Amino acid sequence: MKRHLILEDGTVFEGLGFGAPATTFGEIIFHTAMTGYQEIITDPIYDGQMIVFAMPVIGAAGIHAEAYESVKPAIRGMIVHDLAEVSVNRQRRMNLDRFLKQHNVPGLYQVDTRKLIRHLRETGPQKATIVDFADDHAVDQLVATVLTNKQVQNTATLKPYANPGRGRHIVVIDFGLKHGILRMLGDYDANVSVLPYTTSVDEVLTLDPDGIILSTGPGDPRSLPDSVLTLIRVLQTKAPLLGIGLGHELFALANDATLAPLSSEHHGMNHPIQEIISRQIFFAMQGQGYAVDNDSIDRKKLFVTYRDLVDGAVQGLRHREYPAFSVQFFPDAAPGPLEATAVFADFFETVEDYVEHHS
Amino acid sequence: MSNITANNVLFIGAGANDFGREAEYDAAIYQVMPELRGHGVNVYLIDENPYSLSLESLAATAIWQPLTVENIKAVIKQYQIDTVLPLFGGERALRLWSQTVQAWSHGDGPVPQTLGLTIDMLLRVNNVAVLTSMMADAGLPVITNHVAKAQEDANELLREIKLPLMVRALHPNQANTRQIVERLDEFETAVNSAKSQSMTQEIVISRAINGMKEVSLEVLRDFRGNKMQIGASEDMDPIGIHTADSLSVSPTLTLSDQILEKMRFYAFQVADLLDLRGVLHVQFAVDDLTNTIYIIKISPYIDQMASRMALVTGYPVMLVAINLAMGVALEEIVLSHDFGKKMAMMEPMMDHVTVKLPIFPFGELEQAGVSVNRQLNSIQKSVGSTIGFGRTFIEALEKAIRSAHFNNASFSPTNMSHSSDDALIQQLIHPEDNRVLLLVEAIKRGYEIDELAELTNIDEFFFYQLGHLLKLELEVEQQADSVEALRRAKKYGLSDGLLARFWQTNFKNIATLAHENHIEPTFKALEPSAGEFPENARQYYATYEEENESLPVSDDTVLVIGSGAFRMGDAAAGGYATTIVLSELRRLQYHTVIMNNNASDATLLQNLADKQYLEPLEISDVMKVVALEKPIAIIVPGNRRKLIDALTDLKQNVLILPKEKHVPNGPDDTETEFALNVFSDGHNIYPINITQHMTGELRIVPEIAQLPIQLAQTHLENPGVYQVIWYQDTSEWVKHVDVPDISHDTWLRPMPFGQVAFMSKVMQVQWLRMTVRALLSRMTLQDNELLVNVNKLILQADVAMIASDINYALHLQPTQTIDGTRFEIGVGIKYDE
Amino acid sequence: MANKEVLDNASLQRALTRITYEIIERNKGGEDLVLVGIKTRGEFLAHRIADRLEQLEGVRIPVMAIDITNFRDDIPDHHDDLGLNQAERLNISEKNIVLIDDVLFTGRTIRAALDALIHIGRPKTIALAVLVDRGHRELPIRADFVGKNIPTAQNEKIKVFVQEIDGKDAVEIVH
Repeated sequence: MKRHLILEDGTVFEGLGFGAPATTFGEIIFHTAMTGYQEIITDPIYDGQMIVFAMPVIGAAGIHAEAYESVKPAIRGMIVHDLAEVSVNRQRRMNLDRFLKQHNVPGLYQVDTRKLIRHLRETGPQKATIVDFADDHAVDQLVATVLTNKQVQNTATLKPYANPGRGRHIVVIDFGLKHGILRMLGDYDANVSVLPYTTSVDEVLTLDPDGIILSTGPGDPRSLPDSVLTLIRVLQTKAPLLGIGLGHELFALANDATLAPLSSEHHGMNHPIQEIISRQIFFAMQGQGYAVDNDSIDRKKLFVTYRDLVDGAVQGLRHREYPAFSVQFFPDAAPGPLEATAVFADFFETVEDYVEHHS
Repeated sequence: MSNITANNVLFIGAGANDFGREAEYDAAIYQVMPELRGHGVNVYLIDENPYSLSLESLAATAIWQPLTVENIKAVIKQYQIDTVLPLFGGERALRLWSQTVQAWSHGDGPVPQTLGLTIDMLLRVNNVAVLTSMMADAGLPVITNHVAKAQEDANELLREIKLPLMVRALHPNQANTRQIVERLDEFETAVNSAKSQSMTQEIVISRAINGMKEVSLEVLRDFRGNKMQIGASEDMDPIGIHTADSLSVSPTLTLSDQILEKMRFYAFQVADLLDLRGVLHVQFAVDDLTNTIYIIKISPYIDQMASRMALVTGYPVMLVAINLAMGVALEEIVLSHDFGKKMAMMEPMMDHVTVKLPIFPFGELEQAGVSVNRQLNSIQKSVGSTIGFGRTFIEALEKAIRSAHFNNASFSPTNMSHSSDDALIQQLIHPEDNRVLLLVEAIKRGYEIDELAELTNIDEFFFYQLGHLLKLELEVEQQADSVEALRRAKKYGLSDGLLARFWQTNFKNIATLAHENHIEPTFKALEPSAGEFPENARQYYATYEEENESLPVSDDTVLVIGSGAFRMGDAAAGGYATTIVLSELRRLQYHTVIMNNNASDATLLQNLADKQYLEPLEISDVMKVVALEKPIAIIVPGNRRKLIDALTDLKQNVLILPKEKHVPNGPDDTETEFALNVFSDGHNIYPINITQHMTGELRIVPEIAQLPIQLAQTHLENPGVYQVIWYQDTSEWVKHVDVPDISHDTWLRPMPFGQVAFMSKVMQVQWLRMTVRALLSRMTLQDNELLVNVNKLILQADVAMIASDINYALHLQPTQTIDGTRFEIGVGIKYDE
Repeated sequence: MANKEVLDNASLQRALTRITYEIIERNKGGEDLVLVGIKTRGEFLAHRIADRLEQLEGVRIPVMAIDITNFRDDIPDHHDDLGLNQAERLNISEKNIVLIDDVLFTGRTIRAALDALIHIGRPKTIALAVLVDRGHRELPIRADFVGKNIPTAQNEKIKVFVQEIDGKDAVEIVH
């Protein structure tokens, strides 16, 4: 069925509906990753957003049991050029169309996605809606809609839970955790406790963690309460700490740096990231609209460890006094290049070293 | 900044074209030589191929010599070569350089340094067994052979390697049959039978990979160990069919991120293991049901995958590769302004789909009465390929098919109904070149997709896609003149010609109907950021969407129609001709636009034309580009008769590059063919020389050619190089021949492009450039002076053009001898002793 | 039997990187820092760490190499020849020294290095960084920065390979 995508600036795109036939609102962004659509649409960092894929054919790899980044899609809408059909079998458990239907997420295909992306590249992300008819009423509705800024609250756990292992004890502070992080911790057989971001310092410290992870999450970190920053300021002095994505941004804020919007949002895995200390270049999944403002960094507290060589954006920070560091990109390779997982190796080596010296 | 000290750098060329060796190497060398000169070094090239463009490049000192160890050593000595670059000449150059190094003796002085790979690695790369065990030691998933004698050992291997297995005899006494064991109960029989074939009663057991998916990754690595993926492709056809003969899709569509990331990781490990400074092609066997991956081949040099990836992604693979070889770090590579500033270090992303379709020589051979084995297997049978670009798989497939066949008449899924069900199943299991049609036919007959996928080992995705195509065509066929049907058909790449056939009209009516209803092609830029950044794109492909990105280049544009895929015969020199034409047009300061669809020659190099359309070359495709670019002239190879007529009919200014529709037969063993070669500038005819052609060899007769009076009075309106042909009974090379009365037993034809290329090199006269100038009335005084005396220019040529030794028996198993002139694939040269 | 690789190239780079970060953590500001590499491989590792610090901070930390062959207490007649001429001998007085070696084993080499350093100046502090700690200490010496702890048997040999002289970066157990 013919449906329409309306952008806040009044631009209208026509396409055919798939997934749920619902009307949807969200902030629209574009993604250039050529693989990993299932991981991307289930990643909580995209809570409340609509994603346009540059990859023209989407769906041919089906929906896999092992490629969920959360149990349901986080997105509000999906816009693609061509939607592929697959058979459901032992490996491809479901097809994309049915998956989105089950979770009431609408999609639009046969859209000139290249035109849409070239448009969004100029305007930046905007509010958007997928509707049946692109009439004045739909436009009014879109203009009147206020999108939530409570994405972390929507996606992060409310209660602590454990993901037991026999290795080091790692506490994860959850801001909208993706499964990839737990999978990586599992690779190191870590004994994981996932705690809500509202946890107190004492609650963390009574667990006596060997290491702490500030998880990924959606939205703007500045919409979170200041208590989170206070928590980080204490925790970074107590055990090795790794911030990822939103966790990185919070780590920066906790150490008095500020955030600035990127000249253009970046969602993809094609930018070279350089580890400054070794000059090594690698690639990783990235999804960010903001970056730590380079000029705001107090060099007495923090130094920059990774940079995006395309836009120069800060991709990693490290504390001068504590074994605490953070990365803006996603090192869990779900989806994305495996070379980025070296960050977890770094973290666990730091943890081992810390345990060695503090036991 | 380069970290290599080099003064005199030698490229080793790839030599004559052959199966699996088209013009990609020559194109790569042609592209990178000027870049290398930018590094402040003297560039040298040795190659033997008369069709080589690089040998005519001004960026290097060219040495036109047969590729032998002796010649390479002599060149190194003569030109004080201190650095050798074998990675751009493919497998053959690599082998030659290894042999040269091994044959190096103390008295030869220091061995020149090798760029890209150390000598030690080079030697290992040339030894599959050593290479495999090196990769196995590094923990990489390679297929290892296990030897067993006792049944218990075999049983252990059964548990260790898991089904399916391949069992064969070690030291076979005669025939060695490979047996694939898929079920446990077949195991013992297979073991016993293999044992009985072995002189030592020993068997080799390995994992069977037939039927797995074949996936290729292209990656690069710099001297600092930085690595990047350039692209990937998946073959529709499973392992068991040579990858060159497979229909292949890029980007990969059916593989999950997890599997692809694992392959990327392995490819990076291989690059590290080789300490490579350059590009690497890794071929994998993949079973995505069980997440099994094997590395089946690695090629740490430029090959067809490298040139294909350069074309389909828009990433300048070759220019980056030469910088890597010169020891420039990835982030420090500076590309010319033709490319984005940070393009070299960004992984290319694609927002389009490409389908590579192999071209088989079966049809042409069959017409000449030569029958060959058409069954596709692990030995390459295709001689070329085309690439279709689109925004869906179907659109890309349709365009690849149209590129391959020039017209759709021979290819439509709706006209395949003759074979019986049994024959159909047999052919599905043992595919031939027409398998895409068969797949469609099988869907049409109601076979279940999952059933077909299992039978053919082709991913269901492709069957769903072909099913869509079938449905679309049937619907469109029934809705003659429907605007909606037309709109849908165009979206999926069906051509005006095919629609015209469905609706029993001609393509012009379809074009008019589309135009009246605003169904116009939109040209999309092909650039490696997939829309993320504003691009300075020069490459475009047509699709039917909302936004067109292509604007006319200029008001003095010349459009050049490429020659498409390589085929047997003179077309192998077509890429040479098109490239020279583009180069000459640019020299004459025209703006140039090229249309072509072949990744394996130089015609589509990014900086060779002002704009490139990666499109099929049917009249409707050409007219869509013409409507946008409004060229002042269109240059078309003379063999495209129908296209020329159609364009002329549409009042276009067509300039014809003389070429015969079909390549003529060569002389047989008992005959000698003579040719009086002449040039026409459109007004006058000038004699060039006389050539003598005996089977497998062509030489210039050392005498001054004169124009017979009848010919002097003839008017050859279309400028170009022509030849008067006659046969004579002689089996000796002659020093003089009388031109017979040309009104009897002789005929006039355009000189085949291959001979033009040869002649241009021997005479140092650029005949195709001259032709272009004549076509555009841009001849100079010097041109005229040269032509008057050109017959006195070269009387003592010591070089002959010889047919190269192509192993037709291995590749095609023909029933009769194949005429190497008519069905030529490659040629070489020979110098007089 | 082939050598067993216990640290590959990538892990070795990561170990050096982590040691560098830890040196920064413990030497706030990096002022008065001097890296002293014990010849032969310790010297190369010291330069690698100095390179890394320079990448991060844009400042070159002084590196000195010492040869303690003649300072070993298990070698008779040792004297104070450190293999340094006057120009190479940095003023280490009131400096924070990080002593760098490839493998920490019995501790005797380190002790000799400490003797040597104290012999030529009066450093403010001395810390020890090693790429590999293989255990079996005979003296009360402990490294402040360890790339990797590798438990070994007494009879095994650990070999550190560095690109500069061995053509590759790796740590192997030699049989």
